[in-house]
Parts: sequence; structure tokens; C-alpha cells
Amino acid sequence: MEESLSVQAELLKTFPQAVSNVRVPRARRVFAQVPYERFSEVFDHAVRRMGFSMLCTISGLDGGTCFETIYHLARPSGVVLNLSTSVPKDQPVLKTVTSYFPAAEMYEREMVDLLGMRVEGLPPGPRYPLPDNWPDGQYPLRKDWKPSEGSEGPSQEEPHA
Amino acid sequence: MHNGDEHVQIPIGPQHPALKEPTSFTLTLQGEKILQMGVRLGYNHRGIEKACEGRTYVRALYLTERICGICSHSHATCFVQAVEEIAGLEVPKRALYIRVLISELERIHSHLLWLGVAGHEVGFDTLLMYTWRDREIVMDLLAALTGNRVNYSINTFGGVRRDITDAQKAEVLKGIDALEERTKYYIGVATEEVTLIKRLRNVGVLSHEDALRLGAVGPTGRASSIPRDVRKDDPYAAYGEIPFEVITSDCNDVYGRTLVRVGELMESYKIVRFVLKNLPDGPIAVKAPRKVQAGEALSRYEAPRGEDVHYVRANGTDKPERVKVRAPTLANVQAVSKMLEDRYLADMPIVVAAIDPCFSCTDRLISIADDRGGSGVLFWQQLREYSIHWYQHHGIDFTELNKTFRRGEDA
Amino acid sequence: MKLIQRMVGWARRKSPWILHFNTGACNACDIEIIAALTPQYDLERFGVLLKGTPRHADVLLCSGPVTRQIQDRLVRIYEQMPEPKFVVAIGTCSCSGGVFQGCYNVKGGIDTVLPVAAYIPGCPASPSAIIDGCVKLLKSLEEAEAAPPAKPSKNQAAPQAVLAPKT
Repeated sequence: MEESLSVQAELLKTFPQAVSNVRVPRARRVFAQVPYERFSEVFDHAVRRMGFSMLCTISGLDGGTCFETIYHLARPSGVVLNLSTSVPKDQPVLKTVTSYFPAAEMYEREMVDLLGMRVEGLPPGPRYPLPDNWPDGQYPLRKDWKPSEGSEGPSQEEPHA
Repeated sequence: MHNGDEHVQIPIGPQHPALKEPTSFTLTLQGEKILQMGVRLGYNHRGIEKACEGRTYVRALYLTERICGICSHSHATCFVQAVEEIAGLEVPKRALYIRVLISELERIHSHLLWLGVAGHEVGFDTLLMYTWRDREIVMDLLAALTGNRVNYSINTFGGVRRDITDAQKAEVLKGIDALEERTKYYIGVATEEVTLIKRLRNVGVLSHEDALRLGAVGPTGRASSIPRDVRKDDPYAAYGEIPFEVITSDCNDVYGRTLVRVGELMESYKIVRFVLKNLPDGPIAVKAPRKVQAGEALSRYEAPRGEDVHYVRANGTDKPERVKVRAPTLANVQAVSKMLEDRYLADMPIVVAAIDPCFSCTDRLISIADDRGGSGVLFWQQLREYSIHWYQHHGIDFTELNKTFRRGEDA
Repeated sequence: MKLIQRMVGWARRKSPWILHFNTGACNACDIEIIAALTPQYDLERFGVLLKGTPRHADVLLCSGPVTRQIQDRLVRIYEQMPEPKFVVAIGTCSCSGGVFQGCYNVKGGIDTVLPVAAYIPGCPASPSAIIDGCVKLLKSLEEAEAAPPAKPSKNQAAPQAVLAPKT
């Protein structure tokens, strides 16, 4: 618990204006929000100065008017820092973090394929995870997307019990 | 430096040139060496994350169990932990211990499975038969404890669904004793059989630095001296109270990954014995609400293949707002490309197998273009046969070992 | 001609060569299929041999629901198999889509794409169920061979002779 609280303290001290809603719900879990224009510096500090050398994954969420992306960073000691940021839906552009974590490529491709986000600086490569013949403009993880629009097969109501 | 005609020819084909099937791997070869490798995943993409949003938590649990059949308990537990954290549930100790018991039994079945598959990939088929036969001991234990050989469904929100009786405890201990003897035998094979060592040593090399940079997890990372194991670093369930060692190797190769897995088997037996000896009394579950209050949680779990990560966000209804799953294999895929850079095509089957990949084992198609103008598509089985043949040509042949292994068993 | 047919049929029944194909499964059925081939269950005592390519296979064992990505590949594999050929759907997902019914990217069970000769339910189908299903399929081949071919009525299209070997 102590370590998580010290992570919280360091974030608040180093970026008093940039980070908000810094919570420690339990030991080894810190959550924080960062506006996108300040994101790269906070991310860089967390990875290069605070020892968060592992990227567990990147979660993309459809937040209605924006896309929220959470970068789940971990340290060898077990503390996970969940850095959340958001970009507007009409300009859903992120910069890649593959220069820090090559493995981020897969997680960023998921957000491109499933949410329709754009990630600048992504190295060229095959899409993931949707099939090659998936129709353009169909982003399954968006809240307003329903299966019958883009796939064959039954709609997504609860199957009869 | 390849002497073209002496070497085993790569059997490209027999697919029709006009065939446009999605291939899992795309290789550019120079002679017999891999210059470049591209990996295409997504064959098993079923849309589970989206499906979870439209289902109640209980239905979503059944779905997460089936993300991967081999580590079904891993995904289910990882998911359940996240939801319990959001809901603020205090899971009884007994349930946590039972979760650990099933987790370790799953690790045992998975590592024995892997040992057999690795044997199969290099042509050591007797190893497949023996490890899978031994694995049936743990399959029977899992079936007795949970009601199913695979997809155990032992978890519920707030605890576990079944308790363990004293008679079952005794059966598990007996089974573990037998498995431990067998595993010692396999450790002997792994460390003494020259053919196996020659085949696996210096194959699929991933340096410590590359492993760190590429984020390798699980036995793949630990075989490159990365001492990371979620059970130790970020303990969940009852692991915080259970003594065990994190097994690493500095071999940085497939051989190291083999040693790590058999070493982990021995640790799993210790953990199982500790759990059964120290199983706390008490209830096996607390009541969980149908609707989960708004909140979020990040859950991690050490699956047999490595770190499994689930992020869950709840919105106060009985259906999750978002479920994000990062299975361990996804974290290790890039490491595979690195391991095969500038290596022989013949190494590909065992190197891919050595990360214990959780995508389908049988349908991988490999598209190949070589510097002599050849191109086409191979089935995995063809690549495997080419690999075994290539190594036979280079003096590593399991035919004799298959025979002596069998004879040794019958004696 | 009839004797040769019977011999070929006998050989086919006594030693069906199978191709195992995962069409989007979680791997649970796959490992149970492989377990069925290992010593404890030993499907090989029925003459069943696991082959690596469709060109040598009589029986296609499918596991998993059909995903969009794999659909064309599945059909292509089936087309490469020589006649007569049989498809066995292993596991609830192959039978009907299972838990993945309604997921985008999942078409449904195998029979949405191929004619299925045998359905083996289970999640996963246990090795004993797989053996039971294979034995039943082999038996039904035996019976189909023994039965005289049905005479098509004038108004009916000739039934597709799925189970009888073509001359």
C-alpha cells in the first residue's frame, strides 16, 4: 500500500496541473487521469523515471463523445499504474507508444480495428484482430455498433434461456 | 553458406497458386534462413469482449472461461477477481485456497501438455504419448473436483462453486505423488538426453535485453532470466501466503523454456501440497450482487503461458460496461519474430511451440517466398516434417530415442 | 465391381484417416481430440490415423464455431478432400456456435458451411464422447453400405449419396 501511495504522491507532486483523479483503491493499484495534451510527458516520466517498465495492455473504451484509452503500466514490484486519457470522437488520434514498448503495436492495432481510432506512427503491418474481408467503417467495440450491421448471424440479444 | 543441392528442399506447395487463404505466418527466406517473418493473428477472434458487454456478469463469466480451453480457469479467475474488486466482495479464504488448487492443477496439465507438444514438434513422439498419458492423472483429478475435465467452472462471483472433501484431498495427494515421480523422470530426460539437448539448445534465442524490451511474459520471459511471476510480484488469490520459488533460466533458448516449465511443475506440486495441508475452514463463497456498482479494476493472473490481464469497468447494471482481455500469448508474439530472425526455417516449429501459443495448433498456414523465386503455402504439418527431416540430415534424429524410451518404460 | 466397393468400404471403415481442423475454437475440444489419440483413450486402435493434409483424409474433425476469417479456408479444405468424405462436428460450438452464438465474427456451427455427418456435443466433448461418435459414424457407414441404394421416386431428386462410395 505504501508504494502505491508514494506513486500517487509523486504523480501529484510532479504534475500538479496535469494529473487528476489520482486514486489508490487498493494496494498495488493506482489510477490517474491525464488530458491528452499532457499525456506524453506524464507517460514518459512514468516509464523512464518511475520504473514502470512493463506495459500490460492498452484498453480502449467508447465513452460516448470521446474515446478513453487506458495505458496499464506495471513495475517489477507489482504496482500497476493505470493512466487514462481521452481523445474526441471526431478526432480520435493517438500517438504510438511503440518506441517505448514494441509490444504496444498489437494493442494499438486493436483500437484501430475495433474502435476506429487512428494511431500515428504505427509501423506498417497486417490488421489485428479483424479478418481481411471485414467491411470498412464497421467498428464493433463502439457502443452504437450492432452485429447485424456488419456480420452474418443472429443479432446480439440474450439467447433464449 | 549453403550447399544448395545437399540440403533438404523446402516443400513449397501443394496449394494452387491462385489460392488466397489467410496465412498465419509470412516468411521471406534466403536459402534456408528466415530473413523476415510476419505474423497474422485473429483467426480465433470471436468478438468476446463485445459479447461480454451484452451479457450479464454470470453469462460473461462462462464466455471468458472459453477464451482459451487450456487456461480456462486462468481467464475465469482473472475476470472474477476484477469484478469482485469492483463490487467490494471479501472472498472467503477457503475459496481462495481452492482457486489456487485448481490454478496449479491447470498449470500442471498445461505444462505436461506443452512437454508433449514440444516432443511432437521435434519428432520425439514417445514423449507426447507418455506426458499425455501422465497428464490424464491430473485430468481425472480435475474432473473429480470440478465435474469437467476442461472448462472447470469452479468460480462464481464471491468464491467457488464446489468444496473439496477429505477423500478428494487424499486422491489429489496421491495423484501429485505419482506425477512428481514422472516429472523427475522427464527432468532426467531433459537434462541428460543428448539428442534432445542438441535439438533445443541455442534454438530460438532471446537475449535478456530483447526479452525485456519486447515484454516477454511467463516461462518465455523467465527462460531469459526475467524473474517475473505475477503470483510473486502482484499476488492474488492465496498466493501471498504460499511459499514457492520462481523458476528462471539463463539459457535464453527453447531448452531454457523447457527447464523452466519442468521446474514449475515441481513447484506446483509443492504448492498443491501446501494448499491441501493448510486449507482453511469456512464458507466457500459470499453472496454477490447481481448488479455491480460503477467502478473499474485491473486484474492480473499468472496463467501457464504467462501474465493474463483483465480490465473490467462496471456501470451499476447487471452487465459490464467494458471487458478488456490481454492473453499472455499476445505479449510473446513479437518475441517469436525476434527469435526466428536470421535462423533456419527448420527451427520454426519448436520455436513457435516454445512460447506455448494459445492460438489454434493445427490450422496455421505459412506463406513462403524464397530468394530462388519459389513461393507458396505450407501447412504446419508439412513444415514440421521438413524440420524433422532437416535435423535428421544434420545429425539430430529422434528415431532411436523414441525406441529406447519405449523400451525403458516397458522394463 | 461390388466386391471392390465392399473392400474399399471395409478399408475405409477400418482405417479412417482424419484431418483435425480448428475453425475458431478455444482449443478445449482440440486437446480432447488429441487426448483421444493418446494411450489412455487410444483412438488408433480403431484404425484412426491423424493426417496432416486434406488430400489424405476421409474424415474432417472440426472443432470450434466458424469464424469469418476461417470460413473460406474451411470450405477449401473440404473441397480438397477426396470423396467420400465426412465431416464431424466436435463440441457444442461446432454443432451450433455454442457460447459464441451471436458474437460478431462467428457465423455459427459447422453445418452453416459444410454438410455434417456426425455431431458430438460437449464443452468440450470428452475423449470418450469423441470415440463414441467416431464409432457410431463408422457403424453408420457400415449400415449404409449394407443397405440397398434407395430408388428415387419420379418426383424426387436423387438423394445425395453422401455415405456410399462413388464408383
